[in-house]
Amino acid sequence: MKRCWPLLMVLVAAAPRLLGAQDTTDMAGMHMHDEGSMMPIPMPKGMVMLPGLVGLLPGVTPFLPGAGVDPASLPAAQPSRTVRLQDGDTLDLTAGLLTRTIRGHRFVMYGFNGQVPGPMIRVAQNATITVRFHNQIDLPSTVHWHGVRLDNRSDGVPGMTQVAVAPGGSFTYTVHFPDAGVYWYHPHVREDIEQALGLYGNMLVDAPEPGYYSPVNTEQALMLSDLMIHADTLIPFGKEAPDFALMGRVGNVPLVNGEPAYALNVRRGAVVRFYLTNVASSRTWNLSIPGVPMKVVASDVSRFEREERVASVVMAPAERYVVEAHFTKPGRYPLVNAVQAIDHYKGEFDPQVDTLGWITVSPAAATPDHGAAFARLRSNADVSTEMARFRAEFDRAPDKRLTLTVAVTGLPLTTVQFMSIDTAYFHPVEWVDGMPEMNWLSTARQVRWILRDDATGAENEAIDWTVKRGAMVKLRIYNDPKSFHPMQHPIHLHGQRMLVVARDGVRTTNLVWKDTVLIPVGATVDLLIDASNPGTWMLHCHIAEHLGSGMMAMMHVLP
Amino acid sequence: MLHTAWIAILLLLAVRAGPEGPYQIILLPGPVAPAAHGEARLHFADSPFGIAVTADGRHRYDIRVTAADLPPVASLGAEYRAYVAWEVTPDLSRWHRLGVIGNGVSTVGTAEWNKFLLVITAEREREPATHVGPTVLHGTSPSGWLQTFLTHPLFRGISQ
Repeated sequence: MKRCWPLLMVLVAAAPRLLGAQDTTDMAGMHMHDEGSMMPIPMPKGMVMLPGLVGLLPGVTPFLPGAGVDPASLPAAQPSRTVRLQDGDTLDLTAGLLTRTIRGHRFVMYGFNGQVPGPMIRVAQNATITVRFHNQIDLPSTVHWHGVRLDNRSDGVPGMTQVAVAPGGSFTYTVHFPDAGVYWYHPHVREDIEQALGLYGNMLVDAPEPGYYSPVNTEQALMLSDLMIHADTLIPFGKEAPDFALMGRVGNVPLVNGEPAYALNVRRGAVVRFYLTNVASSRTWNLSIPGVPMKVVASDVSRFEREERVASVVMAPAERYVVEAHFTKPGRYPLVNAVQAIDHYKGEFDPQVDTLGWITVSPAAATPDHGAAFARLRSNADVSTEMARFRAEFDRAPDKRLTLTVAVTGLPLTTVQFMSIDTAYFHPVEWVDGMPEMNWLSTARQVRWILRDDATGAENEAIDWTVKRGAMVKLRIYNDPKSFHPMQHPIHLHGQRMLVVARDGVRTTNLVWKDTVLIPVGATVDLLIDASNPGTWMLHCHIAEHLGSGMMAMMHVLP
Repeated sequence: MLHTAWIAILLLLAVRAGPEGPYQIILLPGPVAPAAHGEARLHFADSPFGIAVTADGRHRYDIRVTAADLPPVASLGAEYRAYVAWEVTPDLSRWHRLGVIGNGVSTVGTAEWNKFLLVITAEREREPATHVGPTVLHGTSPSGWLQTFLTHPLFRGISQ
C-alpha cells in the first residue's frame, strides 16, 4: 500500500480541478472577503496561503475587547505584585479592561487588579483564603484555581460548580491550599479569549519546612504565553465560538509575564529558582538557558522523587515546573524556546529559536554562595514514601480508558484535501503552527475534539464517571494517530492529583504529582488518580480552543 | 456526492500509506539475509517531562528492535561476531552506533536525529567504531515519511 503514494499524489493533484477548489457550499458559516486582500494573519516566513483558502474568513464574528471604549480612558497594565495572605484573609480580585503596549503598539486587553500577570498570591500550605471576584470585563467569567484541591463549590466551572459571573457581577470563592508548590488561576469561560488576553496569575504555596527546596539567591515566577499580532493589530477572536479550533491559537509573539523581552540581573554564582507556568492557549515550550546548568525540582502538585539535571524544560499548556539554574560566569545569557518545527511544504524539519529574554550576570559575587547546594541532586524520600501506598496499583488493568480523537464537518475543501495528503507522518508534538491559515479558518462549529470512553462509547460531556472518595482510579488515555488531525493534548483533571505511572508500557522512573499531563500523538499514557476530593470535577484538554470545541468530561467523586 | 466520494478515497489511501503511528519502524531485509524481518519501536527516552527532547528540540527515542529469522552471524562470514544497530542520517553521511541486537527483542541506544535510517549490519566486533559489514535489516524513521509538497500542482498553482 505504501507504493500507492505516487498514485495518491496524482489523484490529489487532480482533485482541486475535479472538485472545484473554491466550492464553499459545504462550509459551515464560512465568510468570504475580497480576493487579493492582505493576508489577515501572520504567516511563517516563506509560507504562502493555499489557493483554495484565499479570501476566506472564519465563520464567526470577530471579537476584540473594549468595543466602544476609548483606550485612553483605560489604565495601562502594571506588572504582577506579590500579595502575601494569611489564613483567613480576604482578597478582592477584579477582572478588568486595561491597555498593554507590546512592540510599540497599544492594545486593549484584560488583567486582574490592573496587573498582567495578576497578583501573585503567596500563602502558607494549609491556609484558607476568601477571594471576592468582581467581573468588570465585557464577557461572563469565573476564576478557576488550577491544580488546587479545594472545595468543589469554588472550582470556578460554569454550569458545573457555579453560574458564570455576568459583566458587573461578583462571586466569592473559598480557596484552601492543601499542597505546597506553584499553582495558577484563570477564567474557565472562553479561555481562548480571556486567558489569552491576560487573565492569569500565579499562586505560590509555601511548605512549612524551611528546607523544602534548596537555598537560592533569588526566585522568579515566569508565566509564559503568546499573542497573535499582525502588523499593529491583534488578530480578533471568534465571538460565538473559538477559531483556530484545529490546533489552538499559537501566537507569533512569545511573552514572559506578559512582556516580549524578559530581563533579569543577577550576580556571578547566583542560584535562581524559576517557577515556570505555561499559560499559553496551545503552545508547548522547550525552554533553556544555553550555557547555564539547570535542574528540575518540582512540577504541578509536588516535588519530584529526585531532582534531575536537564538541558531544557518541556512544558505543555497549564503545566508548571520548578527549575533551579546556576549562573557561574559573568555575561549575558538568553532564555530561549528552541523547537523543531515542521515545514509541511518541504517535508523537512525547521529548527526555530525564540529568544524570550536575557539574564545579565554581573562580575560581583553572589552571597551567600549556594553553589554546593545546587550541585547536589536531592532525593525526596518523603515524596516517595507518601506515594508508596499507590504503587501496588501501578500494574493492574485500567479502570477507565479514553481515546482522544476529532470529528470535523464543513471545513474548506482545500483544508480537507491538504490534510488528506499530509497524513504520512504526524509529529508526536506540534511545537508551532505550521498551517496557520487552515487552523485560523477552523472554528468550534466545524471541529469537535473528542474524549471517547472506550467502554461505553460515550463522548465528552456524556462521559459522567462516578467513583468513591479514596479510590485510586487507573485511567489509560490513547491519543489516536489516525484521526483527521492528530495532535498532542495536555489533559487536566480538576480538584484531584494524579501520577503518570507509564507511557507506552514503560514505567515512569521519577514520579511527581500532576494535574495536567501531555499526551503526545499515538501515545498511550497510564494515570493513577488519587480521587480524594469529593465533588463534580472536569477532565479536559487544556488547549483552550480544544476545550471550546467540546473536549471535556466529568468525574463525580462521592463523599 | 462526487466530492464526498473523492475525499473518502483520498483519505483512505492517505491514511493507509503511512506507518503505524509515529513510533514504528518496519525493518526490511538486505540481500545477504533475505528471510530476516523485524520492526523497531521508538519510546521516548527517560525524562522528567514525559517526552524527551534535546535542548534544540529534537525528540529523543530509546530504540527497541524486534528481529526474526536473522541467520547465525558467522554464516555471513567467519569474521562476523555481532549484529549492530546504527542510527544513520538519510544521506548516509553520519552513523551513530546504537548497540547489539539479535533475534527477539533488543533494547539499544537512544536516537535523536529528526529523520534517520535504522540500519542493522553484521560486524566483526560488538562495538565497532565504524560500520564495515553487510546490511541485514534497514528501515526509515516515521519522520522519514515527511514528503515535500513543493512540486505539487496544488502549490505550483499559487505562483501561476
